[in-house]
Parts: sequence; structure tokens; C-alpha cells
Amino acid sequence: MSAIITLSLLAILVLYLGLFKARRALLPVSLLGLVATVVLYGVQWGKTAEPLYSGMVLFDHFAVVFSVVCVILTILVLLLSKDYFDKSSPHVAEYYALLLFSLTGAVLVVSFHNLAMLFIGIEIMSVALYILAGIRKKDFASNEAALKYFLMGAYSTGFLLFGIALLYGASGSFDLAAIKEYVVSNPQGISPLFYAGILLLIVSLAFKLGAAPFHFWTPDVYDGSPILITIFMATVVKTAAIAGFLRLFYFCFIPLQDFWVPVLLVMTIITLFVGNLTAIVQQSVKRMLAYSSISHAGYLLFAIVAIGATSANSVLFYVTAYSLSTIIGFGSLILVKRATGSEHFEAFNGLAKKNPYLSLAIAIAMLSLAGIPLTAGFVGKFMMFSGVLADYQVLLVVLAVINAAMGIFYYFRVIVAMYFKPLDRDAIVVSGPYRVVFFLAALITLLLGVYPAWLTGLI
Amino acid sequence: METIVQNIQGVPLNHYILFCSIIFTIGVMGVLIRRNVIIIMMSVELMLNSVNLLLTAFSVHHGDAAGQVFVFFIMALAAAEVAVGLAIIVMVYRNTRSVDINALNRLRG
Amino acid sequence: MSVFYFVAFLSIFFALMTIFTKNPVHSVLYLVITFFTFTVHYILLNAQFLAVVNFIVYMGAIMVLFLFVLMLLNLNKDTEPLKSNLVKFMGVIAGMCLLVTLAASFRLLQISDPVVLKNPDIGLVSNLGKVLFSDFLLPFEISSILLLTAMVGAVLLAKNDPKKV
Repeated sequence: MSAIITLSLLAILVLYLGLFKARRALLPVSLLGLVATVVLYGVQWGKTAEPLYSGMVLFDHFAVVFSVVCVILTILVLLLSKDYFDKSSPHVAEYYALLLFSLTGAVLVVSFHNLAMLFIGIEIMSVALYILAGIRKKDFASNEAALKYFLMGAYSTGFLLFGIALLYGASGSFDLAAIKEYVVSNPQGISPLFYAGILLLIVSLAFKLGAAPFHFWTPDVYDGSPILITIFMATVVKTAAIAGFLRLFYFCFIPLQDFWVPVLLVMTIITLFVGNLTAIVQQSVKRMLAYSSISHAGYLLFAIVAIGATSANSVLFYVTAYSLSTIIGFGSLILVKRATGSEHFEAFNGLAKKNPYLSLAIAIAMLSLAGIPLTAGFVGKFMMFSGVLADYQVLLVVLAVINAAMGIFYYFRVIVAMYFKPLDRDAIVVSGPYRVVFFLAALITLLLGVYPAWLTGLI
Repeated sequence: METIVQNIQGVPLNHYILFCSIIFTIGVMGVLIRRNVIIIMMSVELMLNSVNLLLTAFSVHHGDAAGQVFVFFIMALAAAEVAVGLAIIVMVYRNTRSVDINALNRLRG
Repeated sequence: MSVFYFVAFLSIFFALMTIFTKNPVHSVLYLVITFFTFTVHYILLNAQFLAVVNFIVYMGAIMVLFLFVLMLLNLNKDTEPLKSNLVKFMGVIAGMCLLVTLAASFRLLQISDPVVLKNPDIGLVSNLGKVLFSDFLLPFEISSILLLTAMVGAVLLAKNDPKKV
């Protein structure tokens, strides 16, 4: 709980710093605050978790680990933000504050123990992002992204609330423990309201996660938003959404597996194919990464299809691997776009000659996203697939392997462009914070690929 | 007050659920068929309101106040969302002079 | 009992008018009437406090905001080019599918007990306040973050940046 208080106070402090024009202090203060949050979570680790505040939040290992992942990802994003915002507007403090508010929402989503907290967490996370997507006020694409994200978000909120209302109608409570109690104690007499509620919740959470057939906003929003905000959406928000999804279903709905697993199974397959097939034909790296993030949402849903005790671990691993690589991918895109003004594959041509280290980091990220052995992405995919195989859903794994092959195709286009398409160009200047972020992300990706046990034993 | 309380005795819960579903569906249809962004937002408000009424009906049915408290949070959300949404619309309107969602289709592919 | 059906009919009628009227200002006004019928529903359910809040927040604040923006942007003419009939048709079909699915799942519902006020005091301010400030204290505090976010964001977006010299 102290971590959530720290985060929200930090955001308000940042707003005050903006008021007093202390621009140089913004980034260090935010980073310090986030590190303090991680430490506070670390202190909490290992204590027996009890639902706090009449069962509103529960900081069990699941919540703590995913919160720490979210906070660390935010630290990386903030490091990239050094002199990214300064050019666009004088309101930098507000941007930091909104990012921190959004993070607070994400942390609430992963640690809720009552549907009211889930709802408020999702809303804080999204409302802050509607605004952040539109901070380039004069830019048409940014405007469109903000509007689309807002409309889709508000629409999916309606479904979320209707689902929650139906669950409440059937079980008479918003508390996860009480809902679980209801499901377990009436194995035969589950009200049809409850089933309809589960379906509506799946719809709304799939919206937030960007899974097909509710994915259509994702590419436009990811493409139109400023790249830094896109990184935040594709990493922190996705992590929080899948973690919240898993928490709800793992806590409450496992006894009703037969009902919702087929629905999710179909959605997973559609998501994989839609994401990968459309990613292949893209000419812009940004859109390619946006579509590939849809397909990764599909892989993440595997864990919920094969829900069980190991799901949390595989989601944690996959989401970490995916987020680190995504940060490198989009982060390098910021640099390339700054240097060449283009987001196309051609902009990466011949990068390896002039910026060998940057190219190496990008190559590692792409290999990890594609799921090549010795990277974290491979281990993540392996854990997902073996979870599903244990459930005897062989067909799903076969389809997923086909999709992984398609993924290799378009991720390798970036690598091919960097290494095998010679082009005379100037070296891109990589500033200090970017080096740190890329180095850390690439290093962790490799280390996790070789020693996966560091992360798998946590939950 | 007695007469009002008497009035409600007898409406089956099902009819409340059906009524709220109808209003919710009208909201969903409104989002799908209109192009004016402001009317789309109004349709979303309809959806939220149907949820509010449904929660209240369940709350009365269960004899549990939590449902009605939840309605407060939805109202807080609705206020926040409308404020942000209208700000976004004003911003978009400044650039495009239109609130038609089809005017916003530059991003394609 | 028949009051409920009459008011429900009015709600559905005005909700339909809201989404099918061409002129946005008329739409807002129909929406106001819809919300008013909802207030009546709350009174019927003896949720008096919610009735008052609904009246003030929705019909007062939110609707005025809508009207304000419509007038500010000078959109009070029905200039909206309607979507093609195909899209409309698809929208209505999709909506009907949703409704049929929902209704069919509720048909299975055996409990058709009448809504009985087990505890008539439930919707009164004192009772709601007790629940809000004991069980739901944390969400209540946290929703302040939501409102602060919305406030910062709305100002940030709607503010006209001074021209850079």
C-alpha cells in the first residue's frame, strides 16, 4: 500500500515541480520516486499477504512481482524521455505526472481484490493515456489517436461495467473472495447472469489488451501517438491488462473453465493470425511493431486458455521478454526517425556499419520477439506452448508455431535491412540514457534466455 | 413513501434486467451507427446509465448497499470521462473543423 | 407496478430518439429527458440519494457540458452526413444480436421473483454514507486520482498554447 501512496504523491510532487519551473529536477525526482517504490515493494516481499481495506487490494506475490515489472518498465520509458518531450511543448511536468498517474492505475489493476478496484484502476490507467496520446496538439495523427483511443476506451468501459453489474447481480458481491465462494458453492445453480457477465468481461478486457476481434483501434492508436507514449502503451498497459485478466480469471472463474475456454481459444487463434498476417505486409516499422503487438497479445492469451498454477509464471516471463524487446524496438525507432525522418524499413538500411552496438541491440530485440533460442523470447514462447500442450490442445500449438514462423519473417526484415543493405549514411548519435536503456534491456534479454530460472521461481 | 414502495412490489427482477439490456443495446447501436463524435459520447453515457440502474435494481433485490455505492464511482468516472472527451473533441475540432469520425481516417494500412 | 412499465416505455422511446435524431441539440435534449426518466426509476426503487445525485450530476452538470461544447463549436445544425444505409443496417443488426443474446441468456433465469424492498432504508444517505466510508473507503480515496488526472488532462488539452515567437 505504501507503494501506491508513494506513486500518487510522487505524481503530485512532479506537478508542483512543474509549477515552480524546476524542469531539470523533473526526471531525477521521478526516477528516485520510482526506485523508492521498487524498494518499498521489495520490503513487502515474503510477508504473508492479507486483503487490505475491507478486501479492496491484496499484495500477494503475483501483485508485487507484476507491480515491480510495471514500475521498472516505466523507469526505462522515463529514461528514454530525456529531451524527448522538451521539444514538443512547455508542459513537460504534466506529462510526467500523467505517466505516473497511469502507472498508479496499472499497479491497482494488478493488485485488485475487489471489482471496484479493478474498474477504478483500469480507468485511471486509460484516462491518463487518452490525454497522453494526444499531447502533440497540432499533429493530426496524434489527435486521431487520442480520439480513437478515447472512444474505444469509453465503449469498452461500458461493457466492463455491464459485466461487473451482472456478476454482482448473480453473486451479490464485488469481492473476489465472495464471488469465488459463490462459484464454488453452487456448482449446478450458477445463474445465467453470471455467464453473460463473464462474456462481457472478456470482451472489455480483450479491448484493453488489444486482442482480436477487438483490436482494430490498436494499430492506428499505436501509430498515431508519440512513440514514447506508444512504448508505454505497448509495455506497461499491456502488462497490467493481461495481469488483471489473469488475476480475475484465476481467482474466480476456474471452475467454469468449460464455458469460457472455447471462447478464448477462438479469440486467441484469430488474434494470432490477424496480427501476423497484417504485420507481414506493413512498410512502416512502427505499424509492423503495432501489429506484432497484437499477435503477442494472442500468445499472452495462451496462458489464460491453459489456466493453471503455472500461468502466472509464463505470463510474467513472456511479458517481461516482450516488453524489454519492445522498448528497444520503439526506442531505436525514435533515434532512427530523428535522424532520417522516416519510419520505414529502408530507414534502417546500413545501420550496422555506422552504429554496430545499436544494431546489435536491435538485432537481439528482434530475435527475442521472433522467439529464437538463447533469448528471453524463446523461453517465454516455450513456457506458453508447453502450458497449452499439457492441456492437450495440440492444434493450438501447431497453429501458434506456424504463426511464430510468420513472425520470424517480418522481424528479420529489420535485421536484413540493418546488416545486408549497404547504404552510405551518417552515424546516429545515441545519447547516454538511451545507451543505458538499450544495454540493460539487451543484457536482461540474453541473461533470461540463458538462465530462465531467475524469473520463473518468483510467483 | 408507502405508496411508492408499494408500487415497486411486483415488478419481476427479470423485467429490470431486460429493460437495462435494451437501453444498453440502444447505446451500443448509437455508437455503431452515428458519425458525430458528440452523439457517440452521448450513447456511451446511455450505456453507463443503464448499468447504473441495473446495479441499483440488484442492490435493492439483494438488500445490499454496495451496488448503490458502486454507482457513485461510475458517476465519478462518467464526469471525468466527459471532461477529457470533450477536451479531446475541442482539440480535434481546432485542427480539423469537424467532429465527424470519418474525417479522421488518415491512418490506414 | 404499471408506473414502472410506463416509465420504462418512456425511457426506451426517448433513448431511441436520442440516437436517431439528426440535430445534435435535439439529441442532447432527448438524452436529458431519458435521464429524467431514470431519476423516476431511482425513486421507484427507493434509492432517493441516487435519484438526487443523478438529477444533479447527469441532468445538470454533464448535459450542460455537452450543450456547451455543441454551442461552442457551433454544431447545432444537422449537417452530419449520415452513414451509408449499409453501415446503419449492420449497426442495428449487431445491436439486435447483442440484445437477443443477452435476453436469451436471461430467459433461462428461473428467479423471477419480484423486486422486494427487503430493507427500505438502503438508499438513504446515512446508510450509503456508512458503507461508502467504511467498506469502500479506498476506492473513494483513489477515485480522487482519477478526477485529478481528468482535470489536469482537460486543461492540458483544451488550453490554447501561446504562439511561439
